[in-house]
Amino acid sequence: MRYFFTLLFVAFFSILHAQEKLPADSLKTLNLGEVVVTATRTEKLLAAVPMLVTIINQQQIKAMGSLRLNEVLQEQTGLVIQTNHGNGIQMQGMNPDYTLILIDGEPLIGRTAGTLELSRLAVGNIKQIEIVKGPSSSLYGSEALAGVVNIITENSKTTKATLSSRYGTNNTLDISGSLSLSKNKFGAYLFANRYSTGGYALLPQTFGQTVEPFHNYTLQGKFNYDFSEKVKFSLSTRYFIENQQSNFDIGEPQNPNFVSGNGQVKDMNFNPILHYKISDKWKTQFRFYNSVYETNSKLNYLVNKEVYDETFFRQTFLRPEIQTEYFLSEKHIFTLGAGKIWESVAATRYNGTQTFSTNYAFLQYEFQPVKKLNLIFGGRFDNHSAYGSQLSPKLSLQYDITPKIALRASTGVGFKAPDFRQLYLNFNNAVAGYSVFGTEELGAAIAQLQAQNQIAEILLDPSAIGKIKAEKSLAYNFGFKIKPIEKLLINLNFFRNDISNLIETQVFARKTNGQNVFSYRNLNEVFTQGVEIDASCRLDQNFTFFAGYQFLQAKDKNIIEQVNNGEIFKRDPQTLAVSRVSSKEYGGLFGRSPHTLNVKLFYENQQRGISANVRGIYRGKYGIGDRNGNLILDDDIEYVSGYFTWNMSVSKELLNKKLRLQTGIDNIFNQKDPQNIPNLAGRLLWVSVNFQISKN
Amino acid sequence: MKKLNFSFAIIAFIALSVFSSCTKNDSVEPAKPLEAKIYSNLTADLVTVNPANGQTSGGTNRFTLFSFANNAIVANADSASNKWDVGFRGTTIIVNGGAIRTGQGGAFIYTGLFDELKEVPSTATFAQDNAPTSLAIPTTSGMGWYNYNPATMIITPIAGKVLVIRTGDGKFAKMEILSYYKDSPTTITLTTPQRHYTFRYIYQPNGTKVF
Repeated sequence: MRYFFTLLFVAFFSILHAQEKLPADSLKTLNLGEVVVTATRTEKLLAAVPMLVTIINQQQIKAMGSLRLNEVLQEQTGLVIQTNHGNGIQMQGMNPDYTLILIDGEPLIGRTAGTLELSRLAVGNIKQIEIVKGPSSSLYGSEALAGVVNIITENSKTTKATLSSRYGTNNTLDISGSLSLSKNKFGAYLFANRYSTGGYALLPQTFGQTVEPFHNYTLQGKFNYDFSEKVKFSLSTRYFIENQQSNFDIGEPQNPNFVSGNGQVKDMNFNPILHYKISDKWKTQFRFYNSVYETNSKLNYLVNKEVYDETFFRQTFLRPEIQTEYFLSEKHIFTLGAGKIWESVAATRYNGTQTFSTNYAFLQYEFQPVKKLNLIFGGRFDNHSAYGSQLSPKLSLQYDITPKIALRASTGVGFKAPDFRQLYLNFNNAVAGYSVFGTEELGAAIAQLQAQNQIAEILLDPSAIGKIKAEKSLAYNFGFKIKPIEKLLINLNFFRNDISNLIETQVFARKTNGQNVFSYRNLNEVFTQGVEIDASCRLDQNFTFFAGYQFLQAKDKNIIEQVNNGEIFKRDPQTLAVSRVSSKEYGGLFGRSPHTLNVKLFYENQQRGISANVRGIYRGKYGIGDRNGNLILDDDIEYVSGYFTWNMSVSKELLNKKLRLQTGIDNIFNQKDPQNIPNLAGRLLWVSVNFQISKN
Repeated sequence: MKKLNFSFAIIAFIALSVFSSCTKNDSVEPAKPLEAKIYSNLTADLVTVNPANGQTSGGTNRFTLFSFANNAIVANADSASNKWDVGFRGTTIIVNGGAIRTGQGGAFIYTGLFDELKEVPSTATFAQDNAPTSLAIPTTSGMGWYNYNPATMIITPIAGKVLVIRTGDGKFAKMEILSYYKDSPTTITLTTPQRHYTFRYIYQPNGTKVF
């Protein structure tokens, strides 16, 4: 089978290659002319940005035929999909909790156990995705610790309408439409998407599927009106709603007990922006971002229809902000901003509605002392109502050693604020008897339990520990941008992140029923380090080749110390013999692949309207979970072996480029691991049709 | 190098034989090395567990008492005597000493390898069972002898934790819990019968702290 497909590729590309070669450049290989906004919060040429920034443009997304954000991101160098209550992204070896996800510069809210489900985002309306690696808390505050993914959506530059649909394996149907209007001072862009899938079952003998059927809708509207050359107004709105079934078995194999129900997720954003260009040198923006995230679910026993579990969660985020850019000269640019965030959460397992607020201000100074050197100093101060304040400085520089080689270096501080759960959770498990409290609730909750004579022993006095602090990182990024020949661009980046104050669950007291009272505490220190190499090469007018590799090490410093002191042991599950874990055996954090790789070959012939590509993504072996009881990664049985997934697609434009037909296969070789990698569906075949009409 | 080592070994052997023959005293028998014993599937108040929520039913709430000297279970009727050394019920392990016991027992948790522990350290402090909520061996996951993984709901003995026990009659033993599941299976699932202790121990009958 494998050989057959390989042969097919070779044959296919040989045929394409044999055809006449005509100029094509819509797949920008050497994207130095592109403009990015995420790295500095101002529009800036990618070539001049001293941070590691990756751009994924619309052409690439279209060529891949992807539908949701996770599909696009998982093919990028150094990014790995990590699943924990959703598909999140691991960046520079850090959990999804530490990457900030923005839409048009505004943060998306609604994380479950720290993961923001990336499949919530349709990609049909995306103009480009910007990925900044390394901490950006100096501009964005909390969560921008590993990096930032900013999704820049389409706007109304032209008058255009599109309609597209894709159908594929698992009854997955996607329908998208967009309408873009531009007239004099007014512009509007409307986007609507419906996505539905039957899901899939990797273990068909069990009740309930690996992924249950779900469908969702995304609606987006962007409107802009120019009052004058100097004063412009824009309004972005977005609404997302998803319904998913839920079926599982909570009984024993001989005595099943089925539970079934529905869950709903809603997500709304509203963002008016006023741009005021005071002079050629002075630009100001007022933004008033508003977002709400809601979930609710209800599960019933199938046998008697009684309620098994009913939950809701509602989070709000409101943020006025002002940002000013001042161009003193070509050599000195200042960016200043300030704002206030109000956040609230009300949910099952929380007492009433909990609120907190943050006041913040940031400053950035871009300085170009000589033409070859570009320096950026920045910093942000966040003052939070619940856990104290944070200062996040950052320094970046780029130096053009020769016209072909540029050095890029940055160092900065990133942070992640304790989340609602860590501050305000108030949960007593009635069945099992344990309790979990956020740090703000803990003191009163323990006092209450003591008054009820439910506490047997206080193991850790909450008042002795002090207030919980934000998780913090100090990061170094250092690398080169090399362009040895016009057709080849190589990016090389070394990184090191030292993360401290990691918030962990901790037992604070023991109850008289023998169960524990848990809360959260700043505990561990970890580091991640590695190197990333990314290359793009224009082979000829039609072919472009991309390759990327990341080497990664991510370890817990406390565990390293314990291992070095000979304090960690392991038991062989077969012989039950105990031995000391050696430092060589300690594999670091779970879910980190030391080696990840991607190779992609894109073909594009604009003249004939044909494009095709084949992409291979390798995820090297990684730790899946503790199997020998010592809670750390130290044994061969605790690893999942590395695997490749191969994807391909082909498209043809017809009717003067108004109609585009595309077909593709994701996971060609049907790679599956039901036990360890449930998010890896088998082979997926799909076809799509795209129709567009435009004025002019 | 190998040859050299071999020569040293021969010299050492001869020297040792000479010395030992010189110091030999017929009245003292050379002490026999203590043997480690393994006791399998000691049931600790068997219950039916609902795998959905971990709730248990059908237990008697009694501890299974054990004597190291006899390598045998002690009848529950003898609970108020110093005939037993340790008791098991669910994940709770008790010792026969303290305010709520009659014996002279106690426990000290040593971190290290079972075989490395040749003698009770002089710094060891023996805790006792002073209240049902204050036991010598902490009952909390991660703090006593086991780890509980909330994701898999599996109990695993912490490797490298050796329970040094002072017995009901004031002697010493060291023990290591090997498994909490029936027949110590390699793969444990939610339905594997639990509360079956398998443990290894060395009992020192002569009252010294040397193993």
